[in-house]
Amino acid sequence: MSDATAGGDERGEKRTDGGESLSGISRRQQTASGWVEAHALTLVAVVTGVVLLVLFYYPIATVLVEAVVDDGELTFAPLAGVLTSRFYLVEIIGFTAYQAALSTVASVALGLPGAWVLSRFEFRGRETVRSLTILPFVLPSIMVAIGFVATFGANGTLNRLLSLFGLGPVNLLYTLPAIIVAHAFYNAPLVTRMTTAAWESVDARTVETARSLGASPARAFLDVVFPQLVPAILVSATLTFVFTFASFPIVLALGGLQYATIEVFVYYRVQQLAYADAAALAVVETAVSLGLTYAYLRYEAKQQTAAFGAGAQPAPRKRLLPESLRGLSARDVLSRVAVSGYGVVVLLVFVAPIVSMLLSSVTAPDGSLTTRYYEFLLQRQATAAAFQVKPLPAVLNSLLFGVGTLLLALPMGVVMAVLTTRRYRGRKVVDALSMAPLAVSGIVVGLGLLRGLVFGFEAFGYRFTVAGAIAIVAAHAVSAYPFVTRNVAPLLGNLDAKLVESARSLGASRTRALWDIELPLVAAGVVAGAAFAFAISIGEFDATVILATGSNSYTMPVAVERYLGRRLGPATAMGCILLFVTSLSFVVIERFGGRSRGV
Amino acid sequence: MRRRNFIKAAGAAGVSALVAGCSAEPVDDGGDSASNESTEGTETGTTTGTPSGSATLRVATYTSFVDAPSSSPGPWIKEQFESEFDATLEWQTPENEINYFIERAAQGVDIESDAYVGLDTNMLIRVDENVDGELFASVDSGAVEGRDAVKSGLEFDPQERAVPYDTGYISLVYNENQATAPETFDGLLRPEFEGDLLAQDPQSSATGQAFLLHTIKAKGEDGYLDYWSQLQDNGVRVLGKWEDAYAAYSNGEAPMVVSYSTDQVFANAEGEDLSEHQIRFLNGEAYANPEGMARFADAPSPDLANQFLSFMLRPEVQAEIAVRNVAFPAISDAPLPEDFAQYAKEPETPVTFTYEELQGNLSEWTDAWAQQFASN
Amino acid sequence: MGGLAVSEIHLDGVRKQYAGTTALEEVSLHVRDGEFFTLVGPSGCGKTTTLRLIAGFESPTAGEIRFGDEDVSGVPPEDRNVGVVFQNYALFPHMSVAENVGYGLRFADEERRRGRDERIAELLELVDLPGTGDRDPTELSGGQQQRVALARALAPGPRLLLLDEPMSALDARLRERLRLQVKKIQSELGITTVYVTHDQEEALAVSDRVAVMNDGRVEQVGPPREVYERPKTRFVASFVGDNNLFEGELVDVRDRPEVARETKGLRRLHVRVGETVFEVEASSQGSGSTGEIAGVEASQSPRSDGGSVAFCVRPEQLKIDGGENRFTATVRETEFLGETTRVHLDWEGREVTVRAAEPPEAGTAVELGFDPGDGHVFEDQL
Repeated sequence: MSDATAGGDERGEKRTDGGESLSGISRRQQTASGWVEAHALTLVAVVTGVVLLVLFYYPIATVLVEAVVDDGELTFAPLAGVLTSRFYLVEIIGFTAYQAALSTVASVALGLPGAWVLSRFEFRGRETVRSLTILPFVLPSIMVAIGFVATFGANGTLNRLLSLFGLGPVNLLYTLPAIIVAHAFYNAPLVTRMTTAAWESVDARTVETARSLGASPARAFLDVVFPQLVPAILVSATLTFVFTFASFPIVLALGGLQYATIEVFVYYRVQQLAYADAAALAVVETAVSLGLTYAYLRYEAKQQTAAFGAGAQPAPRKRLLPESLRGLSARDVLSRVAVSGYGVVVLLVFVAPIVSMLLSSVTAPDGSLTTRYYEFLLQRQATAAAFQVKPLPAVLNSLLFGVGTLLLALPMGVVMAVLTTRRYRGRKVVDALSMAPLAVSGIVVGLGLLRGLVFGFEAFGYRFTVAGAIAIVAAHAVSAYPFVTRNVAPLLGNLDAKLVESARSLGASRTRALWDIELPLVAAGVVAGAAFAFAISIGEFDATVILATGSNSYTMPVAVERYLGRRLGPATAMGCILLFVTSLSFVVIERFGGRSRGV
Repeated sequence: MRRRNFIKAAGAAGVSALVAGCSAEPVDDGGDSASNESTEGTETGTTTGTPSGSATLRVATYTSFVDAPSSSPGPWIKEQFESEFDATLEWQTPENEINYFIERAAQGVDIESDAYVGLDTNMLIRVDENVDGELFASVDSGAVEGRDAVKSGLEFDPQERAVPYDTGYISLVYNENQATAPETFDGLLRPEFEGDLLAQDPQSSATGQAFLLHTIKAKGEDGYLDYWSQLQDNGVRVLGKWEDAYAAYSNGEAPMVVSYSTDQVFANAEGEDLSEHQIRFLNGEAYANPEGMARFADAPSPDLANQFLSFMLRPEVQAEIAVRNVAFPAISDAPLPEDFAQYAKEPETPVTFTYEELQGNLSEWTDAWAQQFASN
Repeated sequence: MGGLAVSEIHLDGVRKQYAGTTALEEVSLHVRDGEFFTLVGPSGCGKTTTLRLIAGFESPTAGEIRFGDEDVSGVPPEDRNVGVVFQNYALFPHMSVAENVGYGLRFADEERRRGRDERIAELLELVDLPGTGDRDPTELSGGQQQRVALARALAPGPRLLLLDEPMSALDARLRERLRLQVKKIQSELGITTVYVTHDQEEALAVSDRVAVMNDGRVEQVGPPREVYERPKTRFVASFVGDNNLFEGELVDVRDRPEVARETKGLRRLHVRVGETVFEVEASSQGSGSTGEIAGVEASQSPRSDGGSVAFCVRPEQLKIDGGENRFTATVRETEFLGETTRVHLDWEGREVTVRAAEPPEAGTAVELGFDPGDGHVFEDQL
């Protein structure tokens, strides 16, 4: 009976609806907000393009052009100079790639077990630990250098520990392994984070199926789980390679010049204003990084089969500390032993350097505890002249820029991810280019920003310049949005296209469907991307100092650098503030993000 | 005037100076119209807000001259200068230091600053090689009172644009509880000092560059690479910046570090054990790094700039700069505090390369050195 | 024109090419207001592409799609007012059943939005799932999910309902029950419906009209019975139901008026298959379908001599010991289908299928026959 009524109503409604609907099309288009909604994706894409053009492509072009243009004439001499030099090719570029490859392997080796622990075990503070894994990302290299010297140095924690057992001493500093461990310190968390996200979306049913077909747990892992992790591992490995390939201060601080990377030479050439050589080196450097990125993206495009993301039911986590020892299998015991072993490594590689930083911020030259460095910060805050750097504005600026970057990089990255999942010719080239902000030398970007934006360009009798807080946020977003894209795109690609089609046929615009359907389903990727974007903004230095003209737009890393002197105390105190503020931010971002993940 | 109107208009449109993203200003046709008026938050570096009306002197320098965790002369100079002259001293600290202005000149953007503090020989050579016109004006000694009092040994600009205002000496700092530094460069090659020396990359650090130049002075253009090859065999560590090396030294990674001869001034102030901060002048020498200041050729306020230069050379100001910048004055009669000489060590024989000697050579020397050192 | 005409769909010369491949050669269709129209064909025939073009998920490479009089090219899916149900349901996993059903109402007018809760309840009732609104869609069975998807598609009151293989993930029994329910709801609401399936039985069961597609073209459009009984092409004959195909050549009979008699526009043809000559009827003006398919050439006058010709006879119309055209075949095997038995026979090396209530033993020779009216000559062969 209700069927009948419904049917009758439906029929009547249908008629009027049908009649109205097409005029409804124009009605929707006529209202301004309707127009914006209908074109929101295009608008954001255009804004993204403009931001990239103004804050990245145009500035770096002003520098890289020097590699091929001399006095207005096309030349390949600088590039040829680099490519025919045995020194550059073998000693520098070859070595740079070699250490980057080793660093990548180390980062994956160190990061993967972390993903295992975080995704497969339940323990107190797991969420917090997970949030904090991003911390190394934001640490200024000098802080890491300080922490590493204090941990792995001749008188460091490691050697003191070893001597307790009558072992050692180990000379780790100023060797290749020191560089590699430091790179792993920075990048293993990246591997951990991205892989954890993938691991948590492995559907337990796939493992159960494999087990029911006779696979041992190890076999099931290799055959079923691991292949689903490979994309995440490869993307983080690619990013790690790209970062470590362009690594510079940390290499010199912990390795020394005999381990010089290509970026060291880019820096010096820029310093000496030998722009043609600098640009040639930077072009080669960028080509290697982008080439690798392109190769990865080709791979990623081929994988979009694993149906993780929506609807996956991850296996429940095991308690890390079982309630009783009874009923524990040998396997369970073994896995707990493995976790403990990994814990020791984590303590040494990650926790000890950070604790050393904290300690050095409260240790006087004579070894006694002191609060004087923090008092210095307070005093700075109270008495510094207007042209000097104060701690509080640095903290506030960092947070402000971080949030601003989030707000800009999220839509940029998400829209880029949406475009990435479309099919069109040359898509992977566009994808690779969209990753370029990660692959171009920070020194070149800095110089480009100075030339292209701070000095500006002349047109119509006016000189246009771009600088200040908005420019800083935009520049941060340029560096940050690829992380959003790379975190979101694979998940988005795995979503069933029919979900969006269903939503659209129900009346949702493309933007609305993205907002209502896709984003909630890839929330994990969005939150991860947001955390990275925030971290990138907090840690950014090169672009910040160049664009922070006129206004007091300095950030925490700038303050750390400014307080660096003969004594490390003031800088480490500021560094610890940075550490504290960002830790808190990450916990907040992920708690908040975690709650907004919907059902 | 037009510019200020624009800024006002922009402000009215809701763009505050703090978040100013873009700005457009009319391009000046000639340098003469570069205004004397204050700029509100459009110049590089941290700037002070300026009360309009009085003249403004914009002086660019490196950050630690005005903002260092220990002490820096900047705030004191500003205060003194402003109390005496009816002018506002605005410090500017562009991130790229002198290269910022070279770039600016190369890109045809007006120089809106009056003076630069913190030049060295290498920077001057870079300026001359990369700027077509003149970036800095030669200083007429008549226009700058006290110019003649500068020690002639510190002069490093053949065109007399840069006026030296202080100098530092690069030496070894060592911890005598662990090792007694050798007296000579050759001594550093002895097996007992294997792995004992921390130096810096001359490509990214001033002390590293000075130390490299000192070895070239000592071993000659033809001998320094050989010397370094032996030094490398003996385990010298060349880290990035001075901060990296000094941090490692403080942590006991090695008993010797290339640093400044004023190290004990800080050590004393920090209450550190001076035995851990001994100074060694190899071969009885130290490489001098005189710092100079100069007036921009297009300075909006040239007279005020000259007054500033001469202010900086006054004996009491020189003494204050020396103490606050922890360096040696450029004139001989600066009234230094009594204990200054006790902790700030001067070598018997300062050595340095002249402008002519470095011109065209520095990059080659450094490149050749870096190629040798980084090849292994 | 106006409100009543607007639920018609016209496809005129619609082509769809993807990089390198052609999904639709050329399709022209007319779906009438309120009808249950089915696109049926093997996978890759273009039926889903056609549906996606109607929904607006794809745009045609050439040709025109009109809703009523209005060209909808360039109108995005959200403005077409169509409801779509997919094979895998595509329920939003992060929304409850009620939220799923109510999703489309978010974009409806003010009045509709206010009555949202009642509307959701009403629709859940309509699909026999009252009280499931708070459940998670993943908690429901496949059939239930399908019905939620249907309710969701109907909620905003679309003028068109598009169903893309909605049953193929379900088991046979459920499928049968569900398709009846879909048909019932459709006819109650009177909503114009385009249904895509590869299952010809399903297509015949529920449709007002059927379009059989193959290789990016429409082979035939017509009511199920007509398509079944009068397949225009061999493809249609073999795809829709069991069929016996006979290939032979025309025997010239123009000189023999007593043989070439015409009755009510029907002509008898004599076709020699092997050694046997059969008499079959052929229409001189097509099969009686309205000829709306531009893809199939208008029927030509039957050729009267020489050349090959093919015709088919449905198994149920091939009788043991009956009919005018007789031949003898050997029983190879039998399949028991419940109410009837399918008998496979061998006739001079050709396979022939018959339905029989009491099947003969395998190996025995039986005489088969059919009436001229039951033989159907393919027009495209003539």
